Amino acid sequence: MSDLKAHFHTDWAAMTLNDWIGTILTVVVALLLVVAYVYVFRPKNREKLESRRFIPMEEDKIETGEKDGGK
Amino acid sequence: MEAALEQKYNFDVVRWFAIMAVVYLVVGAAVGVYIASELAWPVLNFDIPYITFGRLRPLHTNAVIFAFGGCTLMASAYYSVQRTCATRLWSDKLAWFTFWGWNLVIVGAVITLPLGLTESKEYAELEWPLDILIAVVWLAYMFNFLMTIANRKTSHIYVSNWFFLGMMVMITYLHVVNSLAIPVGLFKSYSIFSGVQDAMIQWWWGHNAVGFFLTAGFLGIMYYFVPKQANRPVYSYRLSVIHFWALMFGYVWLGAHHLQYTALPDWTGSLGAAVSLAMIIPSWGGAVNGMMTLSGAWDKLRTDYVLRFLIISLAFYAMSTFEGPVMSIKTVNALSHYTDWTIGHVHSGALGWVAGVSFGALYHMVSRTFHTELWSTKLVNAHFWTMTIGTVIYIVAMWVSGIMQGLMWRAYDEYGTLAYTFAESVEAMHPYYAMRAVGGAIFLLGGILMLFNILMTVRKAAVEGTLAKARTAVATA
Repeated sequence: MSDLKAHFHTDWAAMTLNDWIGTILTVVVALLLVVAYVYVFRPKNREKLESRRFIPMEEDKIETGEKDGGK
Repeated sequence: MEAALEQKYNFDVVRWFAIMAVVYLVVGAAVGVYIASELAWPVLNFDIPYITFGRLRPLHTNAVIFAFGGCTLMASAYYSVQRTCATRLWSDKLAWFTFWGWNLVIVGAVITLPLGLTESKEYAELEWPLDILIAVVWLAYMFNFLMTIANRKTSHIYVSNWFFLGMMVMITYLHVVNSLAIPVGLFKSYSIFSGVQDAMIQWWWGHNAVGFFLTAGFLGIMYYFVPKQANRPVYSYRLSVIHFWALMFGYVWLGAHHLQYTALPDWTGSLGAAVSLAMIIPSWGGAVNGMMTLSGAWDKLRTDYVLRFLIISLAFYAMSTFEGPVMSIKTVNALSHYTDWTIGHVHSGALGWVAGVSFGALYHMVSRTFHTELWSTKLVNAHFWTMTIGTVIYIVAMWVSGIMQGLMWRAYDEYGTLAYTFAESVEAMHPYYAMRAVGGAIFLLGGILMLFNILMTVRKAAVEGTLAKARTAVATA
């Protein structure tokens, strides 16, 4: 067995319930992070997301009812 | 407009939190300078147990992190959530409960810590009755913030509120788990964790106090106050969204890097270091996002002294979020661990980033909520330079001292014997400890200037009647 194989060797049979819960949660959250990256950097969503930048600038308009922040 | 804002929103609680933040800044920094001086000149202990380094050090950390930092976070979250959601705080009573409750915690810390009543957990020293009070007040703060968001008049929740909320959720979880203890008296308890598990839980909390309380919360401040003060929208909203989720996912893994070369399993420390290195990406993304908000308007830094605080703080944020991951690498950690380098790193983040962004936000809020200009912009400028120079002196002293310590501790002679005794390394530290005390004193001077300027601004508002007018005038938008 190469060093790399030895390094990544996992004794799956020895995994406890806690190990499985932690592993599954971590993988799910990592996948969700990938989904977030794809969503944010998809060109189609650019305009919608970047329009939120102006919310602090438009507070006065929001307060007077001229504009709804985020729309 | 001023009257409309004053009457629509609860600025009273924001004003009080802001003023108390500056008071605690001076108190906390003064204690810090005193204990730094004790390390340089131990005679300052005066053989009085209540003022020894071991008793005052937790008082210093609690005062600057939870009293100054906490009041700043509460002021800025309560202020910005109202403005970005275009609605008043959900409950004024709950807001005042958080103000008095948080101050009661601080008074409790000031009394118990010098008496030596402590759980001996770093950044979580307070005994169990105060831990329970912290949890109750913190939940009240979070509930009020959440309900204000729920009642918002806007469709989107601005990103600063995400950061504040992320901090609130995670700090609740971290504080409760880390503080689990069995009381054996009113002022004595024992942690339910022991051995290496206790160490792991402690640093899971310890690093996330940095990651969520001192980073996520203050990034909430950055994402609201940098655009407001610069009068320009944040550089990239998409980057802010990625910054948020990557930070929330990544930070919780880092605690183990505090325990390299201990009884903790080796892989845990390596994992902590690996995720620490990965965290450079979102951290720098956030720092660049804040700084590039000024893109095309850098000239504002010449005249807007408050903006200078906000931007220099981002430079320190970028620096310390690079330095931290480097220090977590095992090879570097073998040299840096247990040395003053760590103290230098912490203070480049605390004095440069956290305090810098807080000063910018506090000056902004005091001016806006008292409806007047700051009493003296020259004093703001003097504060900026004292803060910057004091911080640089402090961290340079600790870098030199820390690296020297690490090198002295592991130097061997040709026979394999340690080249220096521990006492020799302590003696070598003296000039740098004196230099650190000087740097801290310069930083403290800036804090005193700020307190004076803020109090004079409050007085100016009273003399001009701006606050009274805003409270009583017929509101016209």
